[in-house]
Amino acid sequence: MEALLEASVRLAAPLLIAALGELWVERSGVVNIGIEGTMLSGAFAGFAAAVATGSPAVGLVAAAAAGCGVGILFATFAVVRKLDQIVVGMAVNLIALGATGLGARALYAGNPPAAPTLAALPVPGLAELPLLGPALFAQTPFVYAALGLAVVVGLGLSRTGAGLRLRAVGESARAADAEGIAVDRVRFRAVIAGSALAGVAGAVLTLSHSDVFTEGMTAGRGFIALAVVIFGRWSAGGVVGAALFFGAATALQFRLQARGAEIPYPVFLMFPYLVTLTVLAVAGGRARAPADLGRPYRREAPAG
Amino acid sequence: MSRSRLVAALCVVVASACGDDRDAAAFRVALLTPGSIADGGWNAGAYEGLREIRERLGAEVRHVETRTPAEFEEGFRDFAGRGYTLVFGHGFEYQEAAARVGAEFPETVFITTSGDTVRSNVAPMVFELEQATYLCGVLAARMTETGRIGLIGGIDLPSIRSTFQAFRGGVSATRSDVEVREVFIGNFDDTAAAREAALALLEEGADLLLHQANAAGRGVFRAVSDRAAAGARVFAFGINRDQNAMAPEVVLASATLDIPAAFVEVATRVREGRFTAEPVRLGMNEGIVHLVLNPRLRARIPAATLDEIDRIEASIRSGELVVPRGAF
Repeated sequence: MEALLEASVRLAAPLLIAALGELWVERSGVVNIGIEGTMLSGAFAGFAAAVATGSPAVGLVAAAAAGCGVGILFATFAVVRKLDQIVVGMAVNLIALGATGLGARALYAGNPPAAPTLAALPVPGLAELPLLGPALFAQTPFVYAALGLAVVVGLGLSRTGAGLRLRAVGESARAADAEGIAVDRVRFRAVIAGSALAGVAGAVLTLSHSDVFTEGMTAGRGFIALAVVIFGRWSAGGVVGAALFFGAATALQFRLQARGAEIPYPVFLMFPYLVTLTVLAVAGGRARAPADLGRPYRREAPAG
Repeated sequence: MSRSRLVAALCVVVASACGDDRDAAAFRVALLTPGSIADGGWNAGAYEGLREIRERLGAEVRHVETRTPAEFEEGFRDFAGRGYTLVFGHGFEYQEAAARVGAEFPETVFITTSGDTVRSNVAPMVFELEQATYLCGVLAARMTETGRIGLIGGIDLPSIRSTFQAFRGGVSATRSDVEVREVFIGNFDDTAAAREAALALLEEGADLLLHQANAAGRGVFRAVSDRAAAGARVFAFGINRDQNAMAPEVVLASATLDIPAAFVEVATRVREGRFTAEPVRLGMNEGIVHLVLNPRLRARIPAATLDEIDRIEASIRSGELVVPRGAF
């Protein structure tokens, strides 16, 4: 049970970091489905920098920087040029898959070394607590950072001027513009911040969950992070719950298989997604997206 | 340049890019892989084979990565249409596409790596990797202390299932009281998922793990290495290539497949007109399949077990023992 809880929180961490970034982006009215490719870029950049310098911390910084870079690419087309956000996001995913694969082949010729990883950092005393001790207090710094980040994003959205302006832009870009808020600037910055977090989320995979970069290794986690934001109903608390839920479902399916349950394994692989869909179908009716989500803002465009 | 001239020039460029550039004298070989050739295993071996075909047979070679059945067919058709002599589809999953496109291009030979589909110009090469995974099973059964062994697969393909079946055969022929559990992760790229699957099996008490997850297999080695570093007595097996050096403290042995040599062998037969419409079986006797013990851990294997492995290998080579494998 303790191992299952520990694995649930561990597996939730990259989803949580990416989803909190996406939450910030979506509350500004932008949908960035390029998050999958952004994570992959962070996974690659983090791995390459950690291998080159021997320092996972440098890898982390590189992953955030790579995320920023991809974010600038996305925002330039989706926010500044106001192209369709879904199309730009998809393009980002495909470019990232190709570019990171090319980079990995060029640098490591099919035989990448192992990266130095961030070790678990147990909190003395608390880590030995029964049941929740290992899950909450014997994890890597990524997990602590993810949980701390949830508090920062939650308070940032509800209690700060920047959060207020962000939400105003997301709910009604026109009204925010009338109030003198620079809509595109707010959105551009939100995308950069969210993408940096997606980059870090990717680095969790190469600097903690494993020690190597493989092509396409994010395996859809970016898309799951998108679902986590919806499932979490665009609130920081909800996103924490949804990410933990998803982490638990994934941890559980591996353990059910390992316990020798006589069910075809694709059922297990579907399990987290099926549960998410079911919960979305039941609870989705009450969820409300930011009103201007996905709509580029053009000041001169006729209203409606 | 006038507009019409420009258009004409463009037409020439386009025509030369997609037209029939057949050259009767050239031996041209193409390879389709289902994944990245940077996986340090299954696909990397095929690519190395392709390069050796170029070096040793002077062939003109091309490689394309194809991910979906539609891309398999597109890849086959593209190369066959351009007059390639031989096109490899590197996996069980290429059979249907090879049969379909093969019927349209009788002058091209299509070889799928594993499978059972045979046509006049389509045949599988069948690796007897099962011979080596059977031996891994014997070794695992002798080495386990917990009585539980784990298997980690990428996708449940018949070729992968078959190597697992042989492994289980080796285990149960050696000890009837050892339990084998398996976990599939659903792809061959997700190292984090492979590590998680390995951790789940280790938590269940498995002390030896065999993976068939290509690139993602590195996650399995990571999990086992961490557990060993924490003081547990746990081991892993390498697969397809000699992976003993990837985690030298825990990889007991690798079931290896000399994929490059197999590709060269098949290409040589095609080039010399010795292609026959039947599966090309390649195993220990052909020098393609081996069990490679990790020299650093050899001392941890009891001498009696090493003798037993040698004896069983000899009876596999003589044909006395036919290891169980999937029907495909």
